[in-house]
Amino acid sequence: MRFLKLILRNLRRNILRSILTSTGVMVLVFVITLIWSILGFLDRATTEKSANFKGIVTEKWSIPSQMPFSYAQTLADGAAREPGDVSPEDSMTWQFFIGTIDKANIGFNSFVFAFCMEPRKLLTMMDELDSLPDGPKAELEKAVVAMENNRQGVIIGRKRLEALNKRVGDKMTIFGQNYRNLDLEVEIVGTFPPGRYDNNSCIHRDYLNSSLDSFKAKTGKAHPLAEKTLNLVWVRVPDRDTFDQLGSQITSSPFFATPAVKIETASSGVSNFLAGYKDLLTIFRWVLAPSILITLAVVISNAISISVRERRKEMAVLKVLGFSPNQVLWLVMGEALLLGGIAGAISSIGTYYLVNKGLGGIPFPIAFFSSFPVEDGALWWGAAIGLITSFLGSIVPAWSTRSIKIVDVFSKVA
Amino acid sequence: MLQYFDLANAWMLLPASLGAIVLTLLLVWAAKIPLIYNLRNLQIRYRTTLLTAVAFTMVIGVLTFMMGFINGLRVLTQSSGIPENVIVLSQGSTDEGISTLAYEDMSDIAQLPQVKREEDEPLCSREAYIVINQPIENPLPGRAKRRLLQVRGLDDPRISAIVHGFSLEDGGEWFSAAGVRANPAPDQPPMVEVILGEGIARELGADRSPEILANAKDKTRLTTGDTITLETRTLYVSGILKTGGTTFDSELWAKRSVIGPIFGKNNYTTLVLKTKSPEAAEELESFLTGKDVDNKYEKARVNAFTEPNYFKSLGQTNLQLLIGTIFVAIVMAFGGIMGVMNTMFAAISQRMKDIGVLRLLGYGGWQILISFLFESMMIALFGGLLGCALGYASNGYSMTSVVSNGPGAKAVVFRIVVDAGVIGIGLALSLAMGFFGGLLPAQSAIRYKPLESLRG
Repeated sequence: MRFLKLILRNLRRNILRSILTSTGVMVLVFVITLIWSILGFLDRATTEKSANFKGIVTEKWSIPSQMPFSYAQTLADGAAREPGDVSPEDSMTWQFFIGTIDKANIGFNSFVFAFCMEPRKLLTMMDELDSLPDGPKAELEKAVVAMENNRQGVIIGRKRLEALNKRVGDKMTIFGQNYRNLDLEVEIVGTFPPGRYDNNSCIHRDYLNSSLDSFKAKTGKAHPLAEKTLNLVWVRVPDRDTFDQLGSQITSSPFFATPAVKIETASSGVSNFLAGYKDLLTIFRWVLAPSILITLAVVISNAISISVRERRKEMAVLKVLGFSPNQVLWLVMGEALLLGGIAGAISSIGTYYLVNKGLGGIPFPIAFFSSFPVEDGALWWGAAIGLITSFLGSIVPAWSTRSIKIVDVFSKVA
Repeated sequence: MLQYFDLANAWMLLPASLGAIVLTLLLVWAAKIPLIYNLRNLQIRYRTTLLTAVAFTMVIGVLTFMMGFINGLRVLTQSSGIPENVIVLSQGSTDEGISTLAYEDMSDIAQLPQVKREEDEPLCSREAYIVINQPIENPLPGRAKRRLLQVRGLDDPRISAIVHGFSLEDGGEWFSAAGVRANPAPDQPPMVEVILGEGIARELGADRSPEILANAKDKTRLTTGDTITLETRTLYVSGILKTGGTTFDSELWAKRSVIGPIFGKNNYTTLVLKTKSPEAAEELESFLTGKDVDNKYEKARVNAFTEPNYFKSLGQTNLQLLIGTIFVAIVMAFGGIMGVMNTMFAAISQRMKDIGVLRLLGYGGWQILISFLFESMMIALFGGLLGCALGYASNGYSMTSVVSNGPGAKAVVFRIVVDAGVIGIGLALSLAMGFFGGLLPAQSAIRYKPLESLRG
C-alpha cells in the first residue's frame, strides 16, 4: 500500500507529463479499439459455427447470383426427394431491388438498396434481428405485421430514411435500376433497429413478384430479368452433418441445372465476398495495429526514460534508504503500468459506450457491412493494451535504474 | 469537405514542406542562435531524441503506406478512362454488373454520327461483363479459397482493342472469330481462347501447382500459350494485354458468344463508343442521357458516361478509405504530438539555466521560442523522413482490392504508388506534428524570467 502511495505521489509530482502520456495512450488505444472491433466482427462473421448452421445457396459461377424464382420452393425443401433426405429447419429467399426515388438526381440521397423477402423471416432468419432484445423486437414485429397486411409496405433503416428525407407513413415510388422499367410504389411502415441495417430496406417479395407479373401483362413480354430474380436462399440446419447432407442433395439435384447452384456456409460465403478486401484487412491486422502498439510503447518508454533520467539522485537516495534495486525497478514500472493501465481502460471503455450508444457503431462501409459495433472485449482490451505496452515500454528504462550507483550520483553532486 | 481533397494535387505539399523547412532555418538564422547549440542538445539527449523520432517514423511510415495504397487505387481508376470514349449502360444502371442492353438499341446507338468510324465501321465495343466466383485451385495457406474473376465477353477483340487503346504483348494474338481452338486432350471440348490483363495473369499464375510451375515458361505469371481450367473448360491464353496499369489489368477477355453461355450470361451489358474528341464524348453523353432537353436521344433510354466520369465514380471506395486513413493518421499524430511535447517539456526543464543565460545575453523571447521549435521540428523531420523512406519501400508492391461506385464493384489488381504527393503528405504531417508538439513547450520556456531560470 505504501508502495502504491509512493507511485501515485510520483505520478502527481509531474502532473503535466502524466497528463501528456496518458492522453497519448488514450488516443492510441482508441484507434486500436476501433481497428480490432472491425477485425473481430469480420473474424466472427467468417468463422464457422459448430451448431445452428446457416447455409447460403447461390448461382454456382456468376456474381451477382441470379437464379429463377422457381428454385425457391425446392431449395426451401432442401431438394429432398428420397426417404431419409433432410430438409432445412427454416429458410429465407433474397431478391435484391436497387432503385432511386429521384430519377433526375440519382445519387446517395435518392438511392435505395432493398432486400425483397418474406417479412416474417426478418424475425427468424436475419442475422442480429433474430436475437433482438424485447423492446426493439416488439417494434420490429409491429413493422413486420404492417408489411404482412400491406404488401406495398417497406421497412427502411434509420440512416437511409434520413438521407431520403422521408419518415414512417410516407409513400414514395422507387424507380428500378437493376430491374429496368420496373417501378415500385411503396409505403414506409417501419424502421430497422439502429446498427447493421441502417442503410438497408426490406420490400415484401410478393410485391416484387406481382409487379413482374404486371409488367408482363402490360407490355406483352416478360421482364428481361424475370427468370433471374432469386439472388440468394438462406437455409438453417442444426449441425454440420445435416449441412453436408443437404449440400449433397442440392448440388446433385437435376432440378438445378441451368444455372447450376452451390451451397456454402454463411461464414464461407462472407469470407468469399471479403476476398477482394483481403489485402486491406491484412494491412489493418499486420501493419496498422502493430504500428500503433509500437508507437504506444515508444511514447510510454520516452516518458519513463525522461522520468528516470531526471530522478537519478532520488533513486540513489532510495537505495541509501534501503530500497533494493528490484524495488526501485518496480517503483518505476509501477508508475508506467498504473498510468498505461488506467488510461487504456478509460479509453477503451469510453470508446465502447461512446461509439455503441452514441454513434450506433463505427461507420466504416466495407462489402455489405455499413457499420461495426465496438466489441464487448473492448471493456478489458484497453487495460490490457495499456499494461502490456507500458510493461514493454518501461522495462528498459526501469532496468537501467538497477545499475544506478549511489557513489556515482553523489560524487557528481559533490 | 474531404471529397474536394484530391491526391493528384497533394504533390504541392512537398514544396510547401520544403518551404516550411527553409522558413524555419531562416528564422533560426534571424534569431542568431547558433545551429550547433540546438543540434548538440539533440545529440546529448540522443536516447530521447531517437525514441521521439521513432514514434514519428511509425506514424508517418503507416500513413505513407496507407496513402500509397489509396493513391495506387486512384491512379488505377484515373488512368483507366479515355476522354474520347463513352460507356453506355442500361437506363438507371451505374455499374456494368447490373446493366442489360438490347442488341437493337446498341446497333442504333452505334450508328449515331458522333461515333468515330474506321473503314466505314463504327468504333464501338459490344461487351458482356461477367464476374465469376472462381475457386482457387492451389490456395496458399491463409489465402482466400475463391476470387472474383472479371470476364469481359467481346464480339470483335480487334475493334475493342482500338476503342480501349490496348495492344498485345509480343507473341500474342487476338482470339479467333470462333473464339475456340482444338483441345489436344482427346474427347475434350475445344479450348476457349482468352486474353489476360497483366495483373490477372500474375494472380492466376500464382495458383499453379509446384509441378506445373517447374515447367512454366514464365514463373511469375501466365503467358501466351499457357492453359488454365475454369468451370469444366480449358482456357488457352492467346495473348497478354498491355493495359498499362488500368482496371482492365484485372480482366480476362474472351469471345462473348462462347464465354457468356458458359456462365449463363447471354445478354450484353456494356457498349463503349469512341468519338472524335473529348468534347464530342461529352456531347454524346449529354445527348444519350437527355441532359440537353432540346437535343436528346429518343429511341431508347440508356445511361451514358464519358469514361473518365465513369472511372471517377469507381473511386468512391477511395474516398471512404481516405477518410478512414486521415482519421487514423490524425489520431495517431495526436499521440505522436503528446510524445514530442513530453520530450520538449523535459528538454526545457533540464535547460532552465541555459534559457536564463541566453536571456541575460540579450536573446529575446521569440528567439528562445524559435530555438526550441527548431529542435522539435528537427526531430519531426528526422523521424518523418525515416517514415517516408519506410513507406516508400512499399512503392510498386502488387495488391488486390475492390473499387466501387455503390451498387457495383470491381475487384482490381494494382500497385502501391508512393509518389511526390504521398511523400508531401507524410512530410507535411510530420512537420505539423513537430510544430504543434513543440509550440506549447517553447512558449512555456519564454515565460521564465532570466533570474528565475538561473535559480532553476
